[in-house]
Amino acid sequence: MCAVPLSEEQLWEVSADFVADGLDRNERVLYFDDGTAEGVLNRLSDDRVAFERPLRTGQLAIVPAEATRAIFHTPLPEARAMMLEHIDGSTAAGYAGFRMTGQMSYGLDRQWPATFVEYDRELDGLVRERGITALCLYDRRRYSDEQIERMRDVHRKELSVPTAYDDGLLRVVRTGPTSARLSGEVDHSNRPAIARLLETTLDDALRSHSAPSDIELNLASLRFIDVASAVSLVHAAEGFPDTHRLVLTDVRPGVLRVLDRCGAPFAAQLTVHEFPATSDTVWAGPGPVPGSGRHAGGDAPAAPSAGADAGWTDGHGDGFPDLREAR
Amino acid sequence: MRVETTRTAAPVRLQHACAVYSSSADLVETAAPVVADAAGRGEAVVLSVRPETEALLREAAGTARVVALGAAAPARSSGQTTAARLARELRELTSQAGAVLAVSEHDSALDGIDGRYWTELDAAVNVALTDLPVSMFCFYPELPLHSEILEGAIANHPLLFEGGRLHVNADHRPPRDVLAGMPAAPPVLLGAPDLDMVFSAWQLHEVRAAVADLAAATAFDTARSEDVVLAVNEIATNAVEHGSGEARVALWIAGDGLVAEIHDTGEALTEPLPGLRAPHPADPRGRGVWIARQLCDVLHVWRDRSGTHVRMHAVP
Repeated sequence: MCAVPLSEEQLWEVSADFVADGLDRNERVLYFDDGTAEGVLNRLSDDRVAFERPLRTGQLAIVPAEATRAIFHTPLPEARAMMLEHIDGSTAAGYAGFRMTGQMSYGLDRQWPATFVEYDRELDGLVRERGITALCLYDRRRYSDEQIERMRDVHRKELSVPTAYDDGLLRVVRTGPTSARLSGEVDHSNRPAIARLLETTLDDALRSHSAPSDIELNLASLRFIDVASAVSLVHAAEGFPDTHRLVLTDVRPGVLRVLDRCGAPFAAQLTVHEFPATSDTVWAGPGPVPGSGRHAGGDAPAAPSAGADAGWTDGHGDGFPDLREAR
Repeated sequence: MRVETTRTAAPVRLQHACAVYSSSADLVETAAPVVADAAGRGEAVVLSVRPETEALLREAAGTARVVALGAAAPARSSGQTTAARLARELRELTSQAGAVLAVSEHDSALDGIDGRYWTELDAAVNVALTDLPVSMFCFYPELPLHSEILEGAIANHPLLFEGGRLHVNADHRPPRDVLAGMPAAPPVLLGAPDLDMVFSAWQLHEVRAAVADLAAATAFDTARSEDVVLAVNEIATNAVEHGSGEARVALWIAGDGLVAEIHDTGEALTEPLPGLRAPHPADPRGRGVWIARQLCDVLHVWRDRSGTHVRMHAVP
């Protein structure tokens, strides 16, 4: 199967989900790096997926960029033999299966289109014969529209992820009727998007009796917020009806400091939970946050509810399992 | 219909007085009774004077709490930066100690080429300290090297201290007027920047990335680096928001940190020294520059015919 991410954020999101799902199923996961592995690992730690142990045990392996590139210079039968070795090796090591993903744009330079398509067809054969899972990513920064269309044709399934907003800098995904996850950066250029999101989400919550009264934004992957956007979040919460709250979860230390300076601690209807530090993450915050008294509450925020609208859909209706649900 | 909201003026609590001295002995003779009075009322005394003066005024203060700011930390010749720092320190002190007496003495080492540092400082003090319960006595020499210093001092101080008494200064003018006649000076020119780029609102993330990259090459830790990125982002945002839509950023790695300059060609803002006063919580604007001032070691705004310019200097 393949996916065509709109942005780096989506690429990291889709890859991290694919990797996490494999780890969950006790499969061996091979990631062919193309300069994106760091972003994917960071996203995995945002998602609180414990990947360090799998990296140590070899359940998760990252193929360095040079090695990824070399594959496309290897004759096809040899490449096939190498893949078979990986697949047999993971069965022998007791893994429940084998999956691989990554960016293959190095193959584009000299090999497009004949060899590239050939490699993909070969891989498709392995997927069918040996029951492995492979996710190929084609994003618009690295591939032309024509190439993407061509590659869409040779894949049997395409993952499409519902996106509420994605401008390449900020990505918003709805995770429930009144919850969303933000990743990337908010600044002067995309500030109105947040205001619209809050407005419509609050509207939905007020119209529905069954909807939760907390509007929850998960900010685990939000790396920057400017002062005016932080002020607008605080003001939005102050403008909520008494019955509703704005809850910000998994807030990074840098974002938390901006919120604190913009009056978040004084807004009665705004609750802020900082990202809990764990040992099994590569993303390490810069230590204790001053003045975090109110945020220090140990009540871990509920995981984003996985709803039908939050999961993956596959356009062909052949029942590809909902990856988020599976976790 | 557009409704203009007028901000409620914060009550003025600052007493800002100018005193003129003929000699160091004259200065101490004039200031000592003021310090003794304040000490008698139980006020804390803040001194920003030469070491010899400080010793004598400490004597006058007796057992009262004395905080010495040293000979005005030369904030790289930016009067507005000195005022912002003074406001920060006095805000903290007055919140614990209540009313405070502050005495400052002119220091010709900070005159620069025409002494306008002092005019900028006093104008900025009027803005930044307005709401603080501070009595500030600024001592200036009768005959400074630059006559503009005394002219600026007379224009900036609402009160004059003469013959042991305070009286209203008829020649006092508000900061905006004073600065219109003698605008903040441009800072000392630096060499070729390490990075120079033109940006629009859609390229603010590139400005942030550039600052983060340079900060990574210096001794900034993660939190400090994030704060500096935020400060530059806020000033850059202002430039493209109020300016012509495009602005320039120049970055230098300095020996002791990072210097950033933002230049825009837009029309001058009405406020000559933005970000010196904490914005009202309900006010959606103005908080960015205020926060940037808190985060930078120097933040200097100046204007000329080509537009508005801001230099920031941050050290780890």
